[in-house]
Amino acid sequence: MSEAVAQQIEEQEPVIDLSLADKIIDKYIDLPGNLMPVLQGVQDEYGYIPRVAADLIAERLNVYPSQIYGVLTFYAQFHLKPRGRFIIRVCVGTACHVQGAPRIVETFFDKLHIGHAETTPDLRYTFEKVACLGACGMAPLAMVNDSTYGSMTVQKVDEIINDYNQRPLK
Amino acid sequence: MVNLTIDDKQVTAPKNATIYDAAKLNGIKIPILCHDSKLKPFGACRMCLVEVEQMKGRQIPACTTPITEGMIIRTATPDIIKARKMVLELLLLNHPIDCPVCDKAGDCDLQNLTYEYEVNANRFADAKFNHVIDYNNPLIERDMNRCVLCGKCARICDEIVSFGALTFMDRGIETKIACEFEAPLNCEFCGSCVSVCPVGSLLARPFKFKARFWALTNQKTVCSYCGTGCNLTLGVKDNKVLTTVYDENQGFHKGQLCCRGRFGYQFINSERRLTTPLVRKNGTLVETTWDEAIEVIAAKMKTAGASTAALATPRITNEELILFKELMETVGSNNYDHSAGYAHAALTKGFVQSLGVAASPASILDVQKTDLLLVIKTDTYETHPVVGFEINMAVKNKEVKLNILSDKRGKLSKLPNAKTLIHVPGTEIAVINALAKVIVDEKLADGTAASVPGFAELEKALAAFTPDAVAAQCGLTAADIKQLATDYAKAEKALILFPVGLPYPGHNEDLASALANLAILTGKLGKEGCGVLCMAEKNNSQGAVDMGFYSTAGMDAGKIIDGCASGSVKTLFIAGENPVVSYPDHTKIAAALDKVDFLVVADLFMTETAAMADVVLPACSFAEKEGTFTSVDRRVQHIKPAIRKIGQCRSDFEIFGALITKLGGKPSATPAKTFEAISSSVAGYAGMSYASLGETGAYAAVSVKPSFVVPKTMSLASESGKLALVTGSALYHSGTMSQYGEGPMYVCPEGYVELSRNDASKMKIAENDLVIVTSSKGSIKLKAKISMRMPQGVLFAPYHFSETSINRICSGAPVTWVSLSK
Ligand code: SF4
Ligand code: SF4
Ligand code: SF4
Ligand code: FES
Ligand code: FES
Repeated sequence: MSEAVAQQIEEQEPVIDLSLADKIIDKYIDLPGNLMPVLQGVQDEYGYIPRVAADLIAERLNVYPSQIYGVLTFYAQFHLKPRGRFIIRVCVGTACHVQGAPRIVETFFDKLHIGHAETTPDLRYTFEKVACLGACGMAPLAMVNDSTYGSMTVQKVDEIINDYNQRPLK
Repeated sequence: MVNLTIDDKQVTAPKNATIYDAAKLNGIKIPILCHDSKLKPFGACRMCLVEVEQMKGRQIPACTTPITEGMIIRTATPDIIKARKMVLELLLLNHPIDCPVCDKAGDCDLQNLTYEYEVNANRFADAKFNHVIDYNNPLIERDMNRCVLCGKCARICDEIVSFGALTFMDRGIETKIACEFEAPLNCEFCGSCVSVCPVGSLLARPFKFKARFWALTNQKTVCSYCGTGCNLTLGVKDNKVLTTVYDENQGFHKGQLCCRGRFGYQFINSERRLTTPLVRKNGTLVETTWDEAIEVIAAKMKTAGASTAALATPRITNEELILFKELMETVGSNNYDHSAGYAHAALTKGFVQSLGVAASPASILDVQKTDLLLVIKTDTYETHPVVGFEINMAVKNKEVKLNILSDKRGKLSKLPNAKTLIHVPGTEIAVINALAKVIVDEKLADGTAASVPGFAELEKALAAFTPDAVAAQCGLTAADIKQLATDYAKAEKALILFPVGLPYPGHNEDLASALANLAILTGKLGKEGCGVLCMAEKNNSQGAVDMGFYSTAGMDAGKIIDGCASGSVKTLFIAGENPVVSYPDHTKIAAALDKVDFLVVADLFMTETAAMADVVLPACSFAEKEGTFTSVDRRVQHIKPAIRKIGQCRSDFEIFGALITKLGGKPSATPAKTFEAISSSVAGYAGMSYASLGETGAYAAVSVKPSFVVPKTMSLASESGKLALVTGSALYHSGTMSQYGEGPMYVCPEGYVELSRNDASKMKIAENDLVIVTSSKGSIKLKAKISMRMPQGVLFAPYHFSETSINRICSGAPVTWVSLSK
C-alpha cells in the first residue's frame, strides 16, 4: 500500500483505541442482557460506534456482528459515523415550520456546507432536523448540544456559528 | 388429538399443532410467506390469516396460533380473501415485478400467490425500491428490491446455520435485510438462505440465466462429498446438471446442505472431465479405445498376478467396491485398500477391537436426542457441516450441553454455553485416558463395566493417566479434566463425535478405542442419544469398510506404496484415489508411483495421479450411475443415474466387470445383482433391496460386543522453537474432488496456513502474506491466515489442494513440527 493511500485511509478511519472499548466490555461481560449497556458505553466513549469496536463487541460478547448492526440501526440513539463536537438541531415541527424553520435550516446548510444528519469534516458540527422539541412558544427553535436558542433568525444563525467556531474542539 | 372444524370439515390434529399445521395435515391449503416448518414461528407477513368463530370472527395468523378443542376455523371467507389481496398489493407496491428476468419465476411464492389471488391491479402507488444489488460474491446474489421481509434468510442463518450473517436493519418503511455495516455477504455460503427465500431476492449465481425453473427435470440422489449422506435433488436439463434444487422434505436434514453439496456440483459436467480412455505411447498419453485399454490392463494384471494391487476411493459405490475386490481375486491378489490405510483404522481396527464391529454404534439422529455432546476437534463442523447443523440445533433448541476437546477453537466453540478445552496437539488420547481414569476412580462407571472383558488391564494401564500427570503435558488443568469426565459420566445420555479421514492421521484406532472405553465404562452404548459416532470423510467411507475393501490378508495402502517402490507390486490399479495429493509424504508417493511397472488410473479428471499412469480410464460421476452409498451412521442409500454418461465414460462397475470377463471370470451383471449379494453377505445389510431402500435409505444394524482396549498414546517428540502444524479439512472442501466444484473453489481457492494473532505479530506476519512453512520433509509457500481460534504455537492447514499440497511437508504424523519464515 502506498503511503498516500495509507494516509488517506487513516484520515477516513481515525485510529481507534480499542482498549477503551475493552474496558467497557470488561465491566459488563458477566451481566445478562449486556449488549445495550455495552453499546451505550462505547458510544459515550467514542461519540459513535466505530465498526472495529462493533466487531470487538461481537467477538467478546459472542453475538453476531450482524445482530449488533440490527440493534444499532433500530435505535435512533446510536450513531455509526463520528459525530461533531457540537450537535445543532433545528426543529421542523408544525409551529416552528410556520414560523420560518425552513429558512433557518437552509441557512445552516449554506453556512456549514453540510446537509441533514451530516458532520463537517473537521468534526466540529453535526446538523440534524428534528421534530417538535416541545417548546413551541419559542418557535422557531434551535439547539446546540444542550443550549436552546428561541425565536431563531438568519442573523442568529451567524451569531451561533461565530460563537461556536471560537470554542475549543476538545 | 384435538378435534376441530376447518372449512366445515371435521378434522383432528395433534395437541401442539398450529392452525396451519392442522389444516396442512388435513389437506387444506393456507397460503404462507414467512412461515417455515424448520424455523421458529414468526408471524410477520399476515398472508395466512384465517377466521376463528370463537374469536368473534377476528382474523388471526394460522402459522402462530395453536389449535384448541372445538375450534371452528374458516380459511377462505370473502373478508379473508380481501385481506390477503391487500397484503399482496402492499408487497407488490415497492417490488420491481421483474419476473421475466427473475430466476425465481415459476417457483416464487409471491408470483404464485399474486396469480392465485388474481391481484392484477394495485389500488396504491409508490416508488419502487432502489437498493443496490449485492453481486460481490460469486455464489449468492442479493437483490433486496424483491424482498418481502419474511425474515426467513436471517432466521435460518441464525437458527440452523448459526452463522448469523444477516439481520433486519433500520425500522418501518426503511427496514431491509443486510449484513453488518451493509458489507457484502461473506459467510460460509451454505445457501440455506437461498433455499428458503420465497422470492427472487436471494439467488444462486452459478445458476443465473441457465434455465427456467419449469424446464428442469429434478433427479433425487445422494451427495457425493462427505459421509453425512445428505439427500440431494439435482436440476437437470439437456443432460447437464445445472443446479441443486431445494426440497424441504428431503432427508433427515430436511433439504439442508452445505456449500459443497449445494454449490459443488459443477464437477459433474465439467469441461475438464476425461471422456476417452488414454494409453501411454512413447511417453505420452494418447487416446485409445476401450477394447484396447481393457486388453492391455487385463494382460498386465494377469502377468502381475499376486503382485497386482489396488487402491480405491471410498467415493465409488458399494457394488463397485465389491466388484473391484472380485477383480483382484480373479488375478489372485488380496492387496487392496483405501484412504491410505490409516483413515479407516478407527473403524477397522479401533472399533473392531473395542466394539466387535467396524461401524459406529450411533446415528446422526442421536445428536438432537442426547443430553450432552462430547466433540473431538472443532473440525467436526468443517468435515461434516450438515451434522454441524444438527449440533447447532441440538444446542440452541434442545439445550444439549456441548463439550469440545480440541487443539484449536472453531465455529462450534461459539455456540451458546459451549465449552472448548484446548489441549496441546497430539495429547488427545492421553486426555481421554485421563477421563477414563477419573470415571473409574470417582466411581462414576456403570455397574456393568467391571464385568466387560479387559477391565482389569485397562484399570492397570490407566494408573499412569492421573489428571495431574496428564494435565502437566496436555495444557489443560486437572480440574478441567475432572469436570469433563464428570459431565460426561453424569449425563443421562451422552454422544461422542469424532471425524476421521486423510488429514487426521492421529484419529486412529487408539483414539477410537480410547473413546469407546468412555462409552463402555459409563454404559452409554446401545441407547437412544448415546454412543460414539466415528465420522468418516467421504460419501462412502463406511461402505468401503462394510464391503471389506481394506487389507486383511494382503498389503495395506502403505505397503502397496512401498511395494511399488521396491518392485514387489508390479501393476497398480487406482480407482478414484489421488494419492499424489491426498496421501502424506508427497515425495515418497510420487517416487513410488513413478517406479511401479504399470499404473492404471480410473478417474473423472486428469488428476496428478492420473497424469503418471500408463492407462487412464474415464470413469462416471455419481450422477451417471446406479448403486448404493453408506453414510457414517450406516444409512444405506440408493442412487440412480440423473444424466446419461458423459462422452465415452464408463462406470467403475462396468470397467471392473469388463476386466473380470476378459480375465475369464463371470462378473455380476448389474449393480442390483451385486447388491443382492451384499444383502446376503454383509452383516447388517440383511434383507435390504433397492426397493426397500426407498428414497432415503435404510439403516444397517450395528450390534456391539464391547471390550476394553488399552490405547497407545502418541509419542510427542516436540521440537523446541518449532510450531506444531496440524492438518484438517476446510469447510468448503472434501478430499481433492471439491477442487473441481466451482462453488467451493470460488470461496476457498487455495491452501493456506492459519496462525494465532500472537504468533503473527511476533513474526510480523500480516493476513495473506506469503509464508514459507518448513518441516524436515521440505518446505511449501502458503498464504497466511490470522485468526482468533488458533492457540499460540499451533498452525492449521487444510489438505485438499493440488498446487499447495500440505502433504509435501507432512509425513503422516499427527503433528508436524515446522518453522515459519517470510
Ligand atoms: S449462505 Fe448460509 S451462511 Fe451464508 S447467509 Fe445464507 S444461510 Fe447464512
Ligand atoms: S431476502 Fe428473501 S428470505 Fe430474506 S427476508 Fe427477503 S424475502 Fe425473506
Ligand atoms: S458434503 Fe456432506 S454435509 Fe455437505 S451436503 Fe454433502 S453430504 Fe451433506
Ligand atoms: S414545533 Fe418546534 S418546538 Fe414544537
Ligand atoms: S405465514 Fe403466517 S404470518 Fe407469515
